[in-house]
Amino acid sequence: MMQLRFDWRSLVSRFRIWALSFRGGITLLCLVGLLLVPLTGREYLVTIVITAMILTIFAASWDFLAGFAGQVSFGHAAFFGISGYLTAASVKFFGAPWFVAVPIGAGTAVVFSLLIGIPCLRLKGPYLALGTLAFALILYNLFLTGTWLGGTEGISGLPNIGNVFVIFYIMAAFMVASLIIMRAIVDSRLGTILKAIRDDEVGADASGINTTVYKLIAFMVSGLFAGVSGALFVLDNTAVNPAVYQPLYSFYAIIMASIGGIATIYGSIVGSFLFTLLSEFLRPLAAASLLIFATLLILIIRFAEEGVMNPFLEHVRDLWDKIRGK
Amino acid sequence: MLLEEILIFGTMQGALLALLALGFSLVYGVGGLLNLAHGAFFLVTAYIVYWTILFLTPILGPSNYPLVFAIAAVVGLSCILTIGAVTYLGLMKPLQKSHIGVVLVTFAMAFFFEQFVKFVGDPKTHYIAPFVPGTVTLFERITFSAQLLALIFGSVILVTLVTLFISKSTIGKSIRAVSQDLEAAKLVGINTDMVMMTSVMISALLVGFAAVLYAPGNYIAPRIGWGYLLLAFSVTIFGGMGSIPGSILGAYVMGYATTLTDYLINPSFSQIVPLIVILVMLLVRPQGLLGKKGLQ
Repeated sequence: MMQLRFDWRSLVSRFRIWALSFRGGITLLCLVGLLLVPLTGREYLVTIVITAMILTIFAASWDFLAGFAGQVSFGHAAFFGISGYLTAASVKFFGAPWFVAVPIGAGTAVVFSLLIGIPCLRLKGPYLALGTLAFALILYNLFLTGTWLGGTEGISGLPNIGNVFVIFYIMAAFMVASLIIMRAIVDSRLGTILKAIRDDEVGADASGINTTVYKLIAFMVSGLFAGVSGALFVLDNTAVNPAVYQPLYSFYAIIMASIGGIATIYGSIVGSFLFTLLSEFLRPLAAASLLIFATLLILIIRFAEEGVMNPFLEHVRDLWDKIRGK
Repeated sequence: MLLEEILIFGTMQGALLALLALGFSLVYGVGGLLNLAHGAFFLVTAYIVYWTILFLTPILGPSNYPLVFAIAAVVGLSCILTIGAVTYLGLMKPLQKSHIGVVLVTFAMAFFFEQFVKFVGDPKTHYIAPFVPGTVTLFERITFSAQLLALIFGSVILVTLVTLFISKSTIGKSIRAVSQDLEAAKLVGINTDMVMMTSVMISALLVGFAAVLYAPGNYIAPRIGWGYLLLAFSVTIFGGMGSIPGSILGAYVMGYATTLTDYLINPSFSQIVPLIVILVMLLVRPQGLLGKKGLQ
């Protein structure tokens, strides 16, 4: 009993120290601000933020695999799509409630990540990227030409989970939980091993790490969260069609994670919110908006490899220190 | 009769794949650069040809179609050469240190070109009329468009020329030197940037020729680039990354294999053939058929 209370206290004090620190303060402020969004009562804004939150999980799952394990995937849409399809099918054809359908979808994504991961682990660096892209393209073609699970039309007319505000809090809970779990994994021993593999695979191998197993674990974790986001995306849209397998969706994850900053996890929040809000803002320009995004991505990769979040926070911190006269 | 059909259509498929894969493999072999915009190069060339034809036909008249097409082809090829050079100098060279940076930036480029084509033109499919009219009938029953003969001859000539260029010319020797050892090539005074730029340009030219020869008589749409990238990629893995004879051999073997699946099983199944080839090859022989580190 004593032990338990002590732990609880240290946890609270650690939380207080973190909350009073610069990054902790900003994080809490943003979280409170996010949770207050539905109180404005503007449904349109809430819908946009829901999409941004779902895409955040997707971008973070890519960032986990690429930024920390160093395995760049260009076929993340495969996990996203297969989970979406399975979720939609179990809701539509078997009448499963959404909280059962999401684990089914995400579980399928994990199985698929193994299926893709095992052959692709023979590939290194750029070839892995292409191999995963090939997988996603094949799934796209299969679902587009095949007649199973709705064929070209896909599955539509899923029941709504609830009204927009209920969905908002469900998605917010999923997003916060997924990000915290991913960050915890990254900061744990497993994360250290993954970073070692990323930085020097031969060295990691030589120091007794079974790189294959750990790379597969990274694939599975990433596939799981991509699957969660795919399932939520389909539930939110109440429809799914083969377009979810397009390279476009893999591209979304990459651009959002790159805008926010690769190997940060939290950067994907910044990236996906900027991306979603900007694309809503650019909607009147229609076809030009994706062109602008593609240009933006080229420019970001070429000139700002760290993304926008960390450099921006550094600047704000300097400013804050100056204001306080430190 | 089945055998002849497979031989003829397989050769056509192989000729196309050889053009696509040779440049892709060359760029990887020389600088370790993976160009994901390879399929987009095909797309851009096909669209430039299409637009130029649209623009020139009212001026020169529809009766002068071969002339119009020749001008369009020259415009398309020179554009793609420029795009290749600019891509290397502006995007690949600064990011060469991190290979993943090159992959990301060329992926973004491929996406950029897809959206560019959609934005400037429209997302619909278009048709380019073949520049060699009519059809050819072989063995009294196999009929195909005469355009495809041009594809086979063009491909064979180009592949031979590029292979000769790489094995005989001075620049070709520098290309081989750089692919074998970048540092040593620098030490003996080879301008490695120039060599890599040349190989990216050769690759762009080959894929441009593939577009000029194969796109007429076929439908083009903004999304086709990814499919050609996948083909080039699977042939390269099959034949061996960075091996020129490997990618030529791989192209023809793949060509016959997909045609065989078309006839024996189902045309929609042949889309999966590249994936199966990639999977089997990676599990059995990751370095590919003739894969080696340097070019031969």
